Amino acid sequence: MDWFNRPEIIVVTGKVPLRVSELSVIIEGLLDSPLLQDILVRGEVTNYTHHARGHRYFSLSEKGGGNTSAIIKCVMWRSDAERLSFNPTEGMEIIATGTVRAYAPHGSYQLQVKEMRKAGLGEKFLLVEQWKSELLAQGCFSLERKRMLPLYPARIGVVTSETGAVIHDIRTVVARRYPLEIVISPTAVQGEDAHREIACAITRLAGKVDVVIVARGGGSFEDLFPFNHPDVVRAIVACPVPVISAIGHEVDVTLSDLAADLRAATPSAAAELIVPDRMVLIARLKELQSLMSAALQGRVAGAWEEIAEMRDRLRPQRFRRKLEERAHNIVDLSDRLERAFSNRIGREKLILAEMKTALDSRNPRAVLARGYCVAEKGGAIVRRTAAIEQGDSIKIRFYDGSSQVIVERVDHERDL
Amino acid sequence: MAAVRLSWSGLIMKETYETKVEQLKQIIEKIEDGTTGLDESMKLYEQGAVLVKQCELMLTEAELKITTLSRDA
Repeated sequence: MDWFNRPEIIVVTGKVPLRVSELSVIIEGLLDSPLLQDILVRGEVTNYTHHARGHRYFSLSEKGGGNTSAIIKCVMWRSDAERLSFNPTEGMEIIATGTVRAYAPHGSYQLQVKEMRKAGLGEKFLLVEQWKSELLAQGCFSLERKRMLPLYPARIGVVTSETGAVIHDIRTVVARRYPLEIVISPTAVQGEDAHREIACAITRLAGKVDVVIVARGGGSFEDLFPFNHPDVVRAIVACPVPVISAIGHEVDVTLSDLAADLRAATPSAAAELIVPDRMVLIARLKELQSLMSAALQGRVAGAWEEIAEMRDRLRPQRFRRKLEERAHNIVDLSDRLERAFSNRIGREKLILAEMKTALDSRNPRAVLARGYCVAEKGGAIVRRTAAIEQGDSIKIRFYDGSSQVIVERVDHERDL
Repeated sequence: MAAVRLSWSGLIMKETYETKVEQLKQIIEKIEDGTTGLDESMKLYEQGAVLVKQCELMLTEAELKITTLSRDA
């Protein structure tokens, strides 16, 4: 090496040579650009290796010929890879979310992948987002339209697969808590046409049940996809009775869950939310029964009190006093009656005596006693001479008797 | 009481159980109300006891019924 030439190089370039580590730092700094942070990259998986430690190494490459073709190395650390819902395979089209970082030890840059979805799925995610905003605008998820579950449902409609654990779980819970009628409306719960079938299965229950459970066991985003479909959401909204959803695991929220009147974590939980526990009902019944007994006992006790009070009021002393009062009253009254009566009699006697005197003064016998006579002809008193003629037989009444006489002559003294 | 075999239809549960429990509550209120005669209260209690029995029967003798709708409706 020409030791003495070195300063000349510096002179030529005007720059001090960087150490490799310094260069790496600069590159790292450049790669910090927001353009390379949390980005979505679509590509085909190549050179996929699943490291023993759990990390995944692969490349994303772009199909196409000529200068459109490109490749980027990728790494997905174990902590992120554990959340993968599928196993990436060679040639799979995926959409990765991640950040570009330089890896100084290898002198390379790579995409550190946080999440990965199958490319087709990515489109489905976008579709769900689009449906969500549309249905939201239509008020399908509004809280105002959430209905209360019936207190004592008679028939429960279950929209689910005929086979599978879901219906078994619901049956078990219902049979234990509150046996009633379960109406199963069977449907496919995944697949291309599932959304139409599910919507039909919900609609078919209208008018037949008091409440509907729409349920499905756990599954991947793709498995649960039909429950995001607007057909299903609208069928739930249009359902005349409350709908309770139990779709997938608690962490998976489908649009059907958002539209349902209530969301349950599992099908069993849905059944528990819907049917009351008959043990609780029986306990409540017992409570009502003892309340009723207590009420009747209270009523009887009240009746006893009433009787005691009445007996008190009927005590003999009281009664005797009442009788004495009455007897006194009667004596009083009879006194008054007697007094009134004797007064009246006295007055009447007086009147009678007066009348007697008056009558006496008018007694014709008194006149006869003084020496007068009364002449009668044919029973009538003769007041005038005109009433008799010579030869008439008339009766002369004296004080002490009478005589029958013949009229010898009639002298009219005055012509009255 | 004669064994009332309830052919378990949920309808009975909905329309009868609910109304029976409601009647029971009304009976209790009437008995508690001091203006109801003692004779009347006794009669009400007997009615209530019958209602309790019927409700218990409904709950204990209830059987699960499962119907599956046809897919092509």
